[in-house]
Amino acid sequence: MECGGFTFLEMMKPLAIVFVIAFGILAVCTRRDMWSWITTVDHKRVGILYGLSALLFMVIGGTEALLMRTQLLMPNNEFLSAKIYNGMVTMHGTTMIFLVIMPLSAAFFNYLTPLMIGARDVAFPRLNALSYWIFLFGGLLMHCSFIVNQIPNSGWFGYANLTSCQYTADASVDFWAMGLQVLGLASLIAAINFFVTILNMRAPGMTLLKMPIFIWTTLVTQVLLIFALPVITIALVMITFDRKFGTGFFNPGQGGDVLMWQHLFWVFGHPEVYILILPGMGIVSEILATFSKKPLFGYSVMVYSSCAIGFLGFAVWAHHMFTVGMGPWANAIFSAATMLIAVPTGVKIFNWIMTLWGGHIRFTTANLFAISFIAMFTMGGLSGIMHSSPPIDSQHQDSYFVVAHFHYVLYGGSIMALFGGIYYWFPKISGRYMNETLGKIQFWLYMIGFNLTFFPMHFLGVQGMPRRNFTYAADQGWNLWNLVCTMGAYMTAVGGIVFAVNVLYGLFRGKKAVGDDWNGRTLEWAISSPPPIYNFAVEPTVSHLDEWWHLKYDENGKRRPGVEIEAHVDPATIHLPGPSYFPILLAFGILLGAVGFFVTPGGLYVSLVGVVLMIGSSYGWAFEKT
Amino acid sequence: MNAKLVKYLVGIVSVGLGALLSGCFDVVPMTTVHPVTQEGADIMTVYKITTWISVAIFFAVSIPICIALYRFREKPGDESIPEQVHGNAFLEFLWTVIPVVLLLIIAIPTWQVIFKQAKPFPEGQSLKVEVIGHQWWWEFRYPELGIVTANELHLPENTNITLDLTSADVIHSFWVPRFGGKVDTVPGHNNPMYWVTPTASDTPGGDYYQGQCVELCGLSHALMRFQAVIHKKDEFDRWAKTYNEPPKVVTSLEKKGDQIFHTICQACHAISGTASAQIPGPKIGPDLSNFGNRRTLGAGTLENNQENLFKWVKDSTSVKPGSLMGNLGLDDESVRAVNAYIRNSTVKVY
Amino acid sequence: MSDSGHNAAAHDIAASGHADHGHDDHGAGHHYTVTGVDNRKFAMWTLIGSECFLFGALIINYVINSGKGTDKLTPQNIYNIDLTTISTFILLMSSVAMVLALDACGKKELNKFRLWTFVVVLFGAMFLGCQVYEFQHFYHLGLGLSTNNFGSSFYLLTGCHGAHVAVGVMIMSSVLIRSFMNPKWFDSIVVEVTGLYWHFVDVIWIIIFTVVYLLVYVI
Repeated sequence: MECGGFTFLEMMKPLAIVFVIAFGILAVCTRRDMWSWITTVDHKRVGILYGLSALLFMVIGGTEALLMRTQLLMPNNEFLSAKIYNGMVTMHGTTMIFLVIMPLSAAFFNYLTPLMIGARDVAFPRLNALSYWIFLFGGLLMHCSFIVNQIPNSGWFGYANLTSCQYTADASVDFWAMGLQVLGLASLIAAINFFVTILNMRAPGMTLLKMPIFIWTTLVTQVLLIFALPVITIALVMITFDRKFGTGFFNPGQGGDVLMWQHLFWVFGHPEVYILILPGMGIVSEILATFSKKPLFGYSVMVYSSCAIGFLGFAVWAHHMFTVGMGPWANAIFSAATMLIAVPTGVKIFNWIMTLWGGHIRFTTANLFAISFIAMFTMGGLSGIMHSSPPIDSQHQDSYFVVAHFHYVLYGGSIMALFGGIYYWFPKISGRYMNETLGKIQFWLYMIGFNLTFFPMHFLGVQGMPRRNFTYAADQGWNLWNLVCTMGAYMTAVGGIVFAVNVLYGLFRGKKAVGDDWNGRTLEWAISSPPPIYNFAVEPTVSHLDEWWHLKYDENGKRRPGVEIEAHVDPATIHLPGPSYFPILLAFGILLGAVGFFVTPGGLYVSLVGVVLMIGSSYGWAFEKT
Repeated sequence: MNAKLVKYLVGIVSVGLGALLSGCFDVVPMTTVHPVTQEGADIMTVYKITTWISVAIFFAVSIPICIALYRFREKPGDESIPEQVHGNAFLEFLWTVIPVVLLLIIAIPTWQVIFKQAKPFPEGQSLKVEVIGHQWWWEFRYPELGIVTANELHLPENTNITLDLTSADVIHSFWVPRFGGKVDTVPGHNNPMYWVTPTASDTPGGDYYQGQCVELCGLSHALMRFQAVIHKKDEFDRWAKTYNEPPKVVTSLEKKGDQIFHTICQACHAISGTASAQIPGPKIGPDLSNFGNRRTLGAGTLENNQENLFKWVKDSTSVKPGSLMGNLGLDDESVRAVNAYIRNSTVKVY
Repeated sequence: MSDSGHNAAAHDIAASGHADHGHDDHGAGHHYTVTGVDNRKFAMWTLIGSECFLFGALIINYVINSGKGTDKLTPQNIYNIDLTTISTFILLMSSVAMVLALDACGKKELNKFRLWTFVVVLFGAMFLGCQVYEFQHFYHLGLGLSTNNFGSSFYLLTGCHGAHVAVGVMIMSSVLIRSFMNPKWFDSIVVEVTGLYWHFVDVIWIIIFTVVYLLVYVI
């Protein structure tokens, strides 16, 4: 059976629309400078592009959440149809994970990794640009589904066989699967790039245990990506083969097994959870240390616990499957492995508290977000421990308790940390501070709104409300808490608007930043804000963890005289990689390759054009003078 | 700032605890914390241990944070640098070991319950029920009693029940929260589940416990509900005995409905004791043998009354998106006839 | 899609090696990396790590599905061990040629370098030819991509490997062309990185050959 096809023109229309929108936004943001942004290979500009795209996708993902909450405002509501609601459920999850948290983390990886390790750029600047464009095109391809009204609606983990042609005949699953496939490729290329950059490009003297903790969590994240992504790639290839070429990997009628999908998906999906949270942990560690004026407590244990979390992350995937009938032994073993993860995580939490302890804590907006991360992440971790027990999980699985749990981890955790990171590094990136008053208003709107939305979901879970329900009956006792959840969501939305205002305020009116904007500890604060294109005029030599702090202060906490941020030099004296349009061309080839799967008849030719474009631009790339 | 933070944290904890105690311990239909079976009670034991440990850890984390935030806030004008403490091996060792101990306290009863719940009843000492998930309704088959029914799972009290779960299409998940945990119904797999049913109250017609599908299974996943009904033993025997009795067609409207049913509806539905039940092969719609006795229609979507049934038979997708029956194009009179037949004639007295 | 996508990535990283040195080495042309390993080589090792999981997933998928043949279309009935042994031998020999090509590149012996590079390309192409023949043969026996799950997982696994070989052949032929366009071009890092990829693809084939073809006879 084959399904989900469009003619060539039918497919080009939504593509053209999303491209016009995306490049229109880019044109507005960059004004006359657009071409230089399209051809940029500067890690800082790529980082900004990642960040901007992620924040725009966050608007989309957030709107989807608000629509869902509005539908659930009261029982038997008819605000959204079942089809649209299921679409919102699916795309909210997919967007927030793959198009918001991952690229926003990638924005920080891109911008900060070379600055923190004292390098001029990443190991492969053009590959870096390539990753961004593939990511963007993947996101755009996925959002074509909105324009043709075939929004993916089988959940963000797309359990087979609901995704088969028999049960989803339109192209919604294809948009989801091909979009993820393209996004996965972007992440894989970026992961290899950062892995090599961190291990190979550090400034002389920066041994592994003198790397900033954020660089460590970045490194572990890349390792997780490198090993987890190929598995989802295969799973997505299989679902695509099932849908397009009639194979039966996940079709019980053809001898396939639907649980195979779940295993493959979660072998990727659980490391993915740590891919989402580890960068946040790194950001929070940096912020807490800076604003307590103390080094991170137990740095080396923090490093080991990050590695332990990463390693164990591969051994616990089946705890998402306690209810599928794996048998008591598998459940017992995977529950034990899952509980083990609580140990390195707990160590981290107490080390963060001890970082605060004895410090001189400054309550900047960035620090408020970081502190709230500890509290919110702890809550999410504790409900996580509950689920690690299969009997309890059998009562919580797929109920609102689980929804509460992972929002405490990914929203109260990752997103709060990423907001903290934005407030913290905004002056470094833009050369201006964001407004602290607006920042604090946003923080409290988020903090209260978040808890108002998600804490009651624990109650709904205890009261047995299943997740992903587009409606519920009035006599179930769920009405009050759903109302409260929705109010909280609206509050957060107001916070989001305050944030947008603050970004604009910061960009145009904010207080000027100089370089060492928060009395920082790591190398990025040793250069001007915003950093010059070449980063460091003189390659730094590192002798301590928190090198910049050690340059500024002696052992007794006395400021050393004469330590200042690096002066600018003429960029022409420093060799930098030149701009290149091959990355975007190659990314476009990959997009065409994917688009071919939607087109019928003649899809093969579209894909072949894509492959030719890929090969051609690879050759152009290889022989380009840089 | 910090005082505000402390106040806020204290506020949320007390409001949270207050709400926890009042709101979520109510006995709502789907409550997970008022089990009526031993299986549910076993889960509750682990649940309680874990919850209390979690609450304790929450305070062990939040109290030091609050103290730190208050005590170590930066004093205005203080530019000095605090002592640069890098770590403390003993402390870090301590909070590696303590979680391990706490986790063991959770893990041991967890494993006990896992293996206890996986233990089948001895052969021949339980009532077998096959549970089959469909988009979006439940089929229940009693092979030993020769009964096929839908959306209401009737069971005798204090009896061992062996459920055999599978699916006819996509993955669903079978859950009666007050009986214990959920088990997925997976196409191509058969998952077992073991219940000892609770004692029934004296209510005639049995005690109703709400259940629902909890795995996203397509458009109307939210409308895939069912009821588990626990009867006194003798009442259940009467239910089982009368179930397959043919419908009593009395009025002319019912007769007309009978006719329509056996020309159109029987393609997908069966009623025991009629020609529709003789057609070989599985039915894609729910069995309607005792539809008149059921409290709900459309797998728990609506209350089973005249008005709702009219809406349903006229165009089921108006009530339940994606429902396969859809609009059959019956005129109002025919719909009323069919309704009279399936709602009045199928009532069984037991 | 993913096949071509992954190979594009592989190709891309190898191809980035073609660029002049200045591109990947920052600062005024000095060669410092922390580990002492060239970035491109390091990236290839990383990619290989990732590819191990890719093929791991495919091999596990094959093992699970290999017993799901239908009628006469089962591994026992259709494999032609002689042909596959020959093609395996050819691929192994191409790895030997790869070593010799790298050696000649290091010693700057242009003609030897061209010869062994040509042998790599030729043997790679011969291997692909054998695979195309094998696929066609199976297809004529009635085993299409969607005939049964054994066939699907077989084609997915060996097809993915074949695509990797094809990318290797493409990179090696561009190395060969380059050696004619610019006889002074002896970028041994590029050849070494491509060689790493080639040996990896070869090693994976040995695993596939063992699991897919040989185990049929053992069990």
